[in-house]
Amino acid sequence: MDINFIDLSAGSVILLFLIGFVGGLVSGFIGSGGAFVLTPAMMNMGATAIMAVASNMAHKFPKALVGAMKRHKFGQVDVKLGIVLGISAEAGVLYGAGIQEMIRESFGKAGSNLYVSSVFVVVLAIVGGYVLRDALRMMRSDNPDSEKKTKIAEWVQSVHIPGTMMYFKSIDAKISVLFTLPIGFATGMLAATIAVGGFIGVPAMMYILGVPGLIASATELVIAFIMGMGGTIKFAIAGYVDIRLAMIILAGSLFGVQLGAIGTTYVKPYAVKIVMGVIMMIALTSRLVVIPVYLSELGQIEPLSESTASLLKDLSFGLLIFALVTGATIVFKALIKGMREHREKMAAEHAVPGTFSPASSEDAHQLSPTGRLERVMLVTDGTEFSRGAVSQAIELARRCEAKLFAFSVMANPELGQESHELEKKTLSERLGKVREEAAAVGVDCEILIGHGSEAYVDIVDQADASNMDVVVMGRRDTNDLVRTMLGSTTAKVIGHGHANVLVVPRETRDGGKGILLPIDGSRYSEAAAVTALNMVKQCDAPLTIVSVALDERLKDDAHAHASQVQRAMAEAGVEANVDIRVGRPDEAITAAAAEHGAELIVMGSHGRTGLDRLLVGSVSERVIGHADCPVLVVKL
Amino acid sequence: MSLERKTAVKNTIIYGTISVVLYSLLYTYEEKILELSREGGWNFYVPMVIAFVFSIVHGNFTGQFWDMFGIKPKTTKK
Repeated sequence: MDINFIDLSAGSVILLFLIGFVGGLVSGFIGSGGAFVLTPAMMNMGATAIMAVASNMAHKFPKALVGAMKRHKFGQVDVKLGIVLGISAEAGVLYGAGIQEMIRESFGKAGSNLYVSSVFVVVLAIVGGYVLRDALRMMRSDNPDSEKKTKIAEWVQSVHIPGTMMYFKSIDAKISVLFTLPIGFATGMLAATIAVGGFIGVPAMMYILGVPGLIASATELVIAFIMGMGGTIKFAIAGYVDIRLAMIILAGSLFGVQLGAIGTTYVKPYAVKIVMGVIMMIALTSRLVVIPVYLSELGQIEPLSESTASLLKDLSFGLLIFALVTGATIVFKALIKGMREHREKMAAEHAVPGTFSPASSEDAHQLSPTGRLERVMLVTDGTEFSRGAVSQAIELARRCEAKLFAFSVMANPELGQESHELEKKTLSERLGKVREEAAAVGVDCEILIGHGSEAYVDIVDQADASNMDVVVMGRRDTNDLVRTMLGSTTAKVIGHGHANVLVVPRETRDGGKGILLPIDGSRYSEAAAVTALNMVKQCDAPLTIVSVALDERLKDDAHAHASQVQRAMAEAGVEANVDIRVGRPDEAITAAAAEHGAELIVMGSHGRTGLDRLLVGSVSERVIGHADCPVLVVKL
Repeated sequence: MSLERKTAVKNTIIYGTISVVLYSLLYTYEEKILELSREGGWNFYVPMVIAFVFSIVHGNFTGQFWDMFGIKPKTTKK
């Protein structure tokens, strides 16, 4: 067959982009939507029906992929359920397309249209009516957050058929695949007929399997991805995919899908049902108004005049756009309202959402590295690796009479809010124990839990926002595995943050005494020297300056650097010993620390380059990885 | 500017630039791409690969774009 792709004008590109955006917004929120407007819109631009369907599918699956990935981050996607339903739905699509073809051959185009419209109206009236009723019931109930499981779902979850049971995290129960297979198949079959599979898939998950609304709508994106990809491959093999059209729509829809997905985190569960129910009811009306046109074409009723028929068709298309715009408006309003309420709530609870209490004006401190240690931030993940960090941070705060701030970062929620809450409770308890330990030695301690996919970002921002003087962190047992230091949260905090970082190995040697100051004549080691000087004054510990020459010829230089720092220390009233060594700097420094029995190494970091490999500086990095005592990394 | 915001701005610029380049390439090689698509058969991979690549690049761009303006998911920060 000769395939002609349409010419695209600037106007049609903008229109496709905008419809894509609105459709994306809705599908990011309810798991589907947009397709029913896009296909006729492309046909209006001159694309043939099959090409419009093919190109729509080619935009749908990448959109669903991005949406599913986004909502997976929020812990809303049951990937396993999505895949199981998606595969059976794909089979349903293929079977449904065959039936569709058969009807077209038997009853002609008008007959086929009538069949599709009738199925659409009946199915959407039943399902959409139920969804809307359920949404309104939830909205008016005393506890709008709770979703009641239907009797069918209770029964489905209670049936046990040996050899067919599969566990799904979203419902925390085993369900027989003998239920999921026909549901997926029926979803796919109806999707092939009425082109909006999500309107069946999401309610089926909610009311037959007992999946919560938010998770069902997010999981639908996985099903849409599988079905869309299968469909696109089929159409692409036949050569019908106009990838330009698909990518223009995608350009807009990805902006929308991200926003829609974000919106789900601010709304109550019934909001998804309201948007879905409302769209279904308006879309149903759109189909209802064209049924007389098909009936007249089939000669079942008095023939309609051409103008009436075209008016009804335009009205139908207008209603589809109205359905989509109404859905998008509800999503937008919910997003704006939700964000505003969240900010107001946060503002009422704290001065700045999610930060430690700020430094008061009386104990306003100078910036590190020249100032005293007054605000010590302990970062703990609750594992044994941060054990050393906890005791060091408490000891440091006690000796310097500083305030301790214990901080933990939680990953974004995994599927199922319960496990997330449980993790939060465990972390709170651990932090509470740290507070108790600190209180036992007279140290005042605040605790806080942060959230983020990248822990280091939250730690750095928290340390900056709360003006911390030093961040105390544990070190994974690296020994020779210095590579694992790289890219670790600790390395990234050192590289990206402004505060000094005290890196503490899991077990520090007992009875350490004194501070070791490795220097190399750079401004970084000068900054470290200033900090070491202040610490010695404050804590009265012996100080040893270590300067390492790579070979014998450079020994004089090393000596000159060390003497310079020693003189500066003496002028400030601090006596320091000098130790000149020859060899690899990192090995010489760790060996010196062990021989002198140092309790702390204070050294500079060459700062922020943005590249993980160069975040810390190779010598500092190796010393941090190998030292058996804590290392204070001083930032410029 | 917080590190979170800085990262979002940097990523928006990086992915946005790649996305613009990809769309320009699609526009420049429009004829060739459509010709290959039209042939169908094993050439089905052409639109598939394009769709996947665009979804990764443009998906990252749009995600970071909203992040940059502070439109982020709700967290349960204490």
